[in-house]
Amino acid sequence: MEAAHKKEPGKASVFSDYDHSNFYYGAGEDPLNLLAPFSDWYAEALPKGYYLYSEPLQSAPDTRVLVRNRKTGEVKDLINLASYNYLGISYRQEVKDAAIEATRAYGLGASGSPILSGTFEVHNELARAVASFKKKEAAILFPTGYSANVGFISSIMRAGDHIFCDQYSHASIVDGAILAKSKTVFFRHNNPLDLERKLNGVRGKKLVVVEGVYSMDGDVCVLPEIVEVAKRHGARILIDEAHSTFLFGPNGRGVAEHFGLDDEIDFHLGTFSKSLGGQGGFVCGSQDLIDYTNAFARSRFFSCNLAPMLAAGLLAGIRIVENEPQLRARLWSNVAFLRRRFAEEGIDIGKSTSQVMPVMVNDDPKVFAIAEKIQDRGLFLQPVTYPAVPKHKSRLRVSVSAAHSEDQLETAVQVIASVLREEGICRA
Amino acid sequence: MPGLTRYGYREVIGGFFEFPTENARRILPAHIEPVELHHGTSIFAMNVFDFTESMVGPYKEAVMAVIVAPLVKPGEKLPKSAFYPYLVATTTRAAREHAIERWHLPHWMNDVEIDFEPGPERLTARVRADGSPVADMTITEHSWKPVSHLYQSFMRDSDQTYLAHITMEGKQSEHEDEKGALTLYDHPFNQALMISEVYETPFRELWMRAGMQTFEPLVELETA
Repeated sequence: MEAAHKKEPGKASVFSDYDHSNFYYGAGEDPLNLLAPFSDWYAEALPKGYYLYSEPLQSAPDTRVLVRNRKTGEVKDLINLASYNYLGISYRQEVKDAAIEATRAYGLGASGSPILSGTFEVHNELARAVASFKKKEAAILFPTGYSANVGFISSIMRAGDHIFCDQYSHASIVDGAILAKSKTVFFRHNNPLDLERKLNGVRGKKLVVVEGVYSMDGDVCVLPEIVEVAKRHGARILIDEAHSTFLFGPNGRGVAEHFGLDDEIDFHLGTFSKSLGGQGGFVCGSQDLIDYTNAFARSRFFSCNLAPMLAAGLLAGIRIVENEPQLRARLWSNVAFLRRRFAEEGIDIGKSTSQVMPVMVNDDPKVFAIAEKIQDRGLFLQPVTYPAVPKHKSRLRVSVSAAHSEDQLETAVQVIASVLREEGICRA
Repeated sequence: MPGLTRYGYREVIGGFFEFPTENARRILPAHIEPVELHHGTSIFAMNVFDFTESMVGPYKEAVMAVIVAPLVKPGEKLPKSAFYPYLVATTTRAAREHAIERWHLPHWMNDVEIDFEPGPERLTARVRADGSPVADMTITEHSWKPVSHLYQSFMRDSDQTYLAHITMEGKQSEHEDEKGALTLYDHPFNQALMISEVYETPFRELWMRAGMQTFEPLVELETA
């Protein structure tokens, strides 16, 4: 029998009939049997759109970026709407200088676990700076945001405990819950009523996990309602502010500060890779909490510590955030501008109220062709499709930066609108 | 292909609903693994058929199932989904006896009533057994396109586990807009489910029209 994932004679394509979820299970007793069916499908998927993923950058993730097209090999200068770097900090001269100086002093990496030989003074300085910025007693660093969720959740929750996660939770939250071996319950996205239904009658240790800004939809957590429900049921609350730390709230501390709920949240987690454009994660709280996390967060102490040069660059980045609140003002001005222009052009951005804006295509077969056209016309912007988002909810995910000029954003709107109109996705 | 069994249908609606993996494991034989949507969350599927032609005449059928890991063999077509139907109900005795004899499917042993109620861009199936309601499921419409999809169905009787390859052809609407609905009633028919733990809204809705369901001959599986 002809393998279905290979192109069959007389059929135009089977690319859109299959996706990653079809290749989870394989035949026989050899794990390598998983490879061949996926490879056959991927060979067709790659030229039809998957080449748009992991295209190698040839310059800093600034508002314009040089990108090598994986299909043609051509390097293009594109307006960058794909990188995080929400405050445009990662390529600032003082950040690069700090990282270079630390590289000269310490070399390439930490060369050790943070609990053994891998902690440098610059790590401690960075942790103190984060704690101070977040107005918490202490902070602990992780090598990535992923490891922060995995390590922290599994350090405080155990088998027999209950973890309640939003259904759109990041994979790192889900993986942390799996590692904790707790009973994991998912509530409907941003739905406190469903959370209440799930919490009813549950006894023992309970943790509710939410995100400040959800990364695929750009909507903000309905934190006041979630906190009210969680507290009434005696549950502790963890907020992952990966996409909101350094951006939301009067002082940029995050969505918890934005809602005036900083002190109501038990565990504050964040990353350095989004707003600062760097790498790493952190948890803030009491000194007791941080000491316990230091002792039990396996993803941290079984990893090499953050490179000292990264810690130095991040420290410089935090100083910029503290000293230049106008960066946040500039970001929110750009967000407002783009929201208004998208609305004027009839472009659907779903429920986004943040710097993450999904341009909804809602047509899975078309989304790659649309993304290809958009890149051909000068924008670096990537498609997101099933199974990362529900079927027929395919989209292009826009990341707005404080560093974008209005001219760049206007150009982006015009390119996106023209392509979506040509493809019949938005009104003429 | 010799030995194919065909069933023509007017309408088929199906919903995928989240429910606890612990519930799924209680339903499944030990060697069949539930697919998890999230950690701890598996998939309950309800499908309701309006068959217009078959070797036992027209009838309607409701199938309660768990979505399970498929059995994939080198070079063979990959299924869209794999089901373990744990309870099937039909509107005629002939259909029931046929499906038990040929497909080893576990059945509710009395005739049931199944009504399809069309609405604007939606279709509702109401299932009643022994005079009281069992389930109401509403599936909503998206864009339609002709498809030919392979599914797998695992069956287990007292002696043996079986696998059926089933091809569904027809016009299909499929989406994940979460607009449909499911009401499960407190009825012996639903005793395998922790009703309060089954989501009332399907995360995936399927609707097929005017097509053909084709069963390949049953395969006996070796199990440890």
